Amino acid sequence: MAELVHVDRALARRILGGEEAAFRDLFDRFFPRLYRFALARVPRDPEAARDIVQQTFCQAIERLDTYRGEAALYTWFCQICRNAVADHYRRNSRSARRVVLLEDLPDARAILESFAAPEADEPETGAIREQVHRLVEATLDALPGRYGEALEWKYIDGLSVREIAERMSLGEKATESLLTRARESFREAIAGIF
Amino acid sequence: MKREMDIVESLIRSAGRRLDPPGDAYRQVLASATDAFRRKSVRRRQARWFALAAAIATLVVGAVLMMQWNAPAGRGDLASIERATGGVELAHGDGWQPLDGNRGSLGTGRRLRTQPDGRAALRLAGGASLRLAGETEVLLDAPGRIFVHHGTIYVDGGVRPGADPIEVVTPGGTAREIGTQFELQVAGARLRLRVREGSVSVDRGGRSLVGAAGEQIEIDDAGSVRRSAIGPASDAWAWAEAVAPVPNVDGRPATQLISWVARETGRRLRYESPAVEERAATVILHGNIHHLPPLAALEAMLATTDLEYVLEDDTMEIRARSEPIAEP
Repeated sequence: MAELVHVDRALARRILGGEEAAFRDLFDRFFPRLYRFALARVPRDPEAARDIVQQTFCQAIERLDTYRGEAALYTWFCQICRNAVADHYRRNSRSARRVVLLEDLPDARAILESFAAPEADEPETGAIREQVHRLVEATLDALPGRYGEALEWKYIDGLSVREIAERMSLGEKATESLLTRARESFREAIAGIF
Repeated sequence: MKREMDIVESLIRSAGRRLDPPGDAYRQVLASATDAFRRKSVRRRQARWFALAAAIATLVVGAVLMMQWNAPAGRGDLASIERATGGVELAHGDGWQPLDGNRGSLGTGRRLRTQPDGRAALRLAGGASLRLAGETEVLLDAPGRIFVHHGTIYVDGGVRPGADPIEVVTPGGTAREIGTQFELQVAGARLRLRVREGSVSVDRGGRSLVGAAGEQIEIDDAGSVRRSAIGPASDAWAWAEAVAPVPNVDGRPATQLISWVARETGRRLRYESPAVEERAATVILHGNIHHLPPLAALEAMLATTDLEYVLEDDTMEIRARSEPIAEP
């Protein structure tokens, strides 16, 4: 975590120094994650999600010199995004519906366990699956570096370690090590929620 | 470990691939964010440039003034002390001495400072009035040029046809009055300029700003500028009025005192009628009103006449007294 924050501080400094390539790198890494983060909080309203992310980026860039590196840069962006979501609900108070996220539910562990079971046929399973899907998505988004991509390549695309290593321009040993750390990070993140 | 690995794999497989945001959302947000990034970059470059320029200017001014700081004083009179209250000190060699009775002329290179309770009023050689608030240190650099090390000063350039403008040099920039009354506060590279009358230009880091009457300009360490309004009769000027050197009015027409009070309090002067103005010109005052603030001095001196003043916003009107003066 300390190393990640150090890297993030360096990235913030490069952006503040006017390095457009650094800004673009950050944008391309954070945009999809923040879009999903926002859309989970304004469900079925992609336009609102887009506006919230736009507000988030503009405010974060404006305040970037106040980033001190106490947390990961993505966590810092998420906090700004949360505030932008709150602004959105304040502006649209008449139509606002409070979104309850899975991590806020008291029996979240039971839900996760039922989801992890091979098949479930209870009528509420569809809604639960949707929430758990969002939770897994958010967890993958919150993982540092390219851990989320590596896990998707391995478990969804079924790529071999060698193929992942080629995509990441790494050696096979380093890729194995990265996948181990990615799995561990994912497990810890999920355990932290429940 | 195997069990945990299975849960991780199971969750990720079941959840499926993460949603990719729509391309048009990506392009729209990228355009806005890039615009914000570029604007921020330009502002930061400007701030860095101004800070660098201010630092260089400060070094140059500081070096020049340091050379003069230790130069022998007294090569020509640049100012005289008209009024001082509280702790006011003059530099002597490496130390400071209380002003006490020493209120004579001050030459080039003389340094003057006030303690928190100190106030001083100087008459500069060209006729302008220079006033020092508490915790202020100045150096008389050259005719019409003052270096303010720190603190707050007030300059009343007065009406001096053909006179050179007063130049106030500070670590954060140089202000030049253009027939005006203004206050300048200096704290390191930070400046606060308040213009009461006329206009004042401020040069800082290669950039020139002009403050007009009724305007307050604040420049921070990075060179950012904030403008706001300040009325000519605002209470903010009270400290400068309180230390104003009171003119000798004994044997002079009331119009002289009235004009002085109107200027000192930042108000436009208006007479109720031409007859009242004529009357004021024929009333001769007796005695003096030293150490009274301007309005209190006017009230005291008009008490024995058939004139009175009324304040309305930024205007002071002189009227014929509505109630007859009681006989002693």
